[in-house]
Amino acid sequence: MSVDRNRLERALNPKSVVVVGDKGPGYMWLSNMSEYTGALYSVQVDPNEIPGIEEKNIPNFSSITEIPGEVDLVVCAVPRQIAPIIIGQAIEKQVGGVSMFTSGFAETGEPDAIELQKKIVDACTESGMPLVGPNCMGIYNRELGVKFSNQQEQGSGSDLGVISQSGTHGIGISLGSQRLGMKVGRTISIGNAVVCNESDYVEYLIDDEKSPIVAMYLEGVKDGPRFFSALKKLAQKKPVVIWRGGGTDAGARAAHSHTASLATDTAVWDGMIRQSGAIPTESLEDTLDVLAALVHAPACAGLGTALVAMTGGQSVAITDQFQRAGFDVPELSQKSYDTLGEFFVTIGGSYRNPFDAASTIRSETENLEKILEVLAEDSNIDGGVAIELTTAGFDKEPERLAAQLDLLAEYRTKTNQPVVAMMPEGGAVSGQAEVVLTARTKVSESGFPVYPSFRRGAEALARTQAYWAWRYSL
Amino acid sequence: MTSLTVTDTIITRALSEGRLLLSEVESKNLLVAEGISVTDAQLARDPDEAASVAESLGYPVVMKIISPDIAHKSDVGGVVVGLTDSDEVKSAYDEMMRKVSSVVSTARIEGVSVQTMAKPGIEVIVGATTDPQFGPVMMFGLGGVFVEVLKDVSFRVVPLEPRDAKQMVREIDALPILEGVRGQDGADLEALEALLLSISELIERRPEIAELDLNPVFAYSDGAIAVDARIVLHSQNGV
Repeated sequence: MSVDRNRLERALNPKSVVVVGDKGPGYMWLSNMSEYTGALYSVQVDPNEIPGIEEKNIPNFSSITEIPGEVDLVVCAVPRQIAPIIIGQAIEKQVGGVSMFTSGFAETGEPDAIELQKKIVDACTESGMPLVGPNCMGIYNRELGVKFSNQQEQGSGSDLGVISQSGTHGIGISLGSQRLGMKVGRTISIGNAVVCNESDYVEYLIDDEKSPIVAMYLEGVKDGPRFFSALKKLAQKKPVVIWRGGGTDAGARAAHSHTASLATDTAVWDGMIRQSGAIPTESLEDTLDVLAALVHAPACAGLGTALVAMTGGQSVAITDQFQRAGFDVPELSQKSYDTLGEFFVTIGGSYRNPFDAASTIRSETENLEKILEVLAEDSNIDGGVAIELTTAGFDKEPERLAAQLDLLAEYRTKTNQPVVAMMPEGGAVSGQAEVVLTARTKVSESGFPVYPSFRRGAEALARTQAYWAWRYSL
Repeated sequence: MTSLTVTDTIITRALSEGRLLLSEVESKNLLVAEGISVTDAQLARDPDEAASVAESLGYPVVMKIISPDIAHKSDVGGVVVGLTDSDEVKSAYDEMMRKVSSVVSTARIEGVSVQTMAKPGIEVIVGATTDPQFGPVMMFGLGGVFVEVLKDVSFRVVPLEPRDAKQMVREIDALPILEGVRGQDGADLEALEALLLSISELIERRPEIAELDLNPVFAYSDGAIAVDARIVLHSQNGV
């Protein structure tokens, strides 16, 4: 079934939200909406729960139908037996859509629960009402402040949109992206996806300005051919990262009891993803690694990278990882070598590419500036720069790292090539865990992809590079 | 329209007889009619018929048993290769009937297929199957005995675009073998891509087909030909 796009639009970008069945003492759903910019209502009939809601100055009603004006989104958190009644009220009120947190349906495998889900699905389908879920965390909209985790940010701008069949992973991708300096415009936790399915959301995201990049966690799809064709269109328009859960036999069994997903052979799934042009990932950190490269690096299909490490051993290690991931680590032009030879400290250092640069860069940034100037002029380097950053002295002198980041940003603007920050422990990164964390956060917040291992950085950049190469070949 | 008629006839006959599995001869006749390069195969029900088919195809020929009850023909003595004249063909026929019926006495035997013996090439597999979530999907891999162990195969969803066929052929780990090792001729990769595309197109056009296996296909430095073929139909109403 294809859902009414206008109603889905209302549900995903609601000007008014009613939370049905929230409970004290935490009132999780109403509390999640504390930064919501639209009109917020509550429906609760339990006399024990109502005072707590009224204390929050949120108007409470005994039925959705009693709410004055339009309702764009119903957040339904009632026990499962009550769910059909709430759906009935929502249909009567002609709301935009319902996001159903309530679980205990087809995913349990119980005949009664399957029947109950069918009742809800039939009612929604007949009236054309988009249902998000059930068994889901629902909708996050950054700009409007609709949230399903109180740690999700409210504010303008968007770097990516997220679709997740798991609420946990929806939150994981949202919050993980935020921590890496990315703005998540929207997240849709789709749960059992029985009325609005993953194809509906993928089709919606094709033209969604809040999702310039898309990340997905999926365990299975309802309508394979439709999903495939929608995914192909999406990936041809914007980068799509797909983390699939349940790719092993035991994982598939877990996925079935989680979201009632059918198993598809991993080889078939992988072929389908490659064919669609989307980027496959295998875990949360893998997904975030690729997203950071997509968001924080310019689109670039070049393979010639310059690798700047701070010791000889690290220069070998980073080179192995980049070559393994498919990059070239080319020699530079004679002109570049001539210029580098004028200032580069070759005792305990080298500049053939990879660079062993600690003794040259030292505490001033002037020599980093010179190195970057040379690289920007060298046509062998068309795939960007990966640089090992140091945390030494960061706690006392954070300005030094800031000055380096300014130079790297300048290089990126001038060349339109990626600059990837490498901050693995065991090399130039040392000191208190807290200092390391603060330093890495500083780099992320300054808009650079930052990786705790050469391997993760190389593999993430390689997949974004392959995506752009594919896009440019279309 | 002629080609459609052959395909229609083969599919309709099988379904009307309550069969979903097409025999090798039926499968190959269907593929020939659809313009796919396969070794010519014809049904023969007795030694004389086998000999006259062989005469018309030209020697050497291969003989294979045709039975809906036998999946692995060579395991029961149901495959003989390199027959060079009509006497060899006739005695091979008798010998095959004896062997097969002694190994699997209950098997229904329709006869044999007599086919042109293709010169050996690099063995690859081209297949199509139906995935529960994505519908028809294509498979490509290196043939031979190791394929089941190594699982070195690529999949794509039907319909394939030319770029998909190109990737399918090139993403298997055994690509260097297709490209030619130690001075041996490589395989005609473009011919393999063309074969994948034409099978994808056939599957798209004939939704009755549930599974299709060309195993092996002999790939040469110039062209490729399917040596064995197996087609399974989707069950229809009443079958």
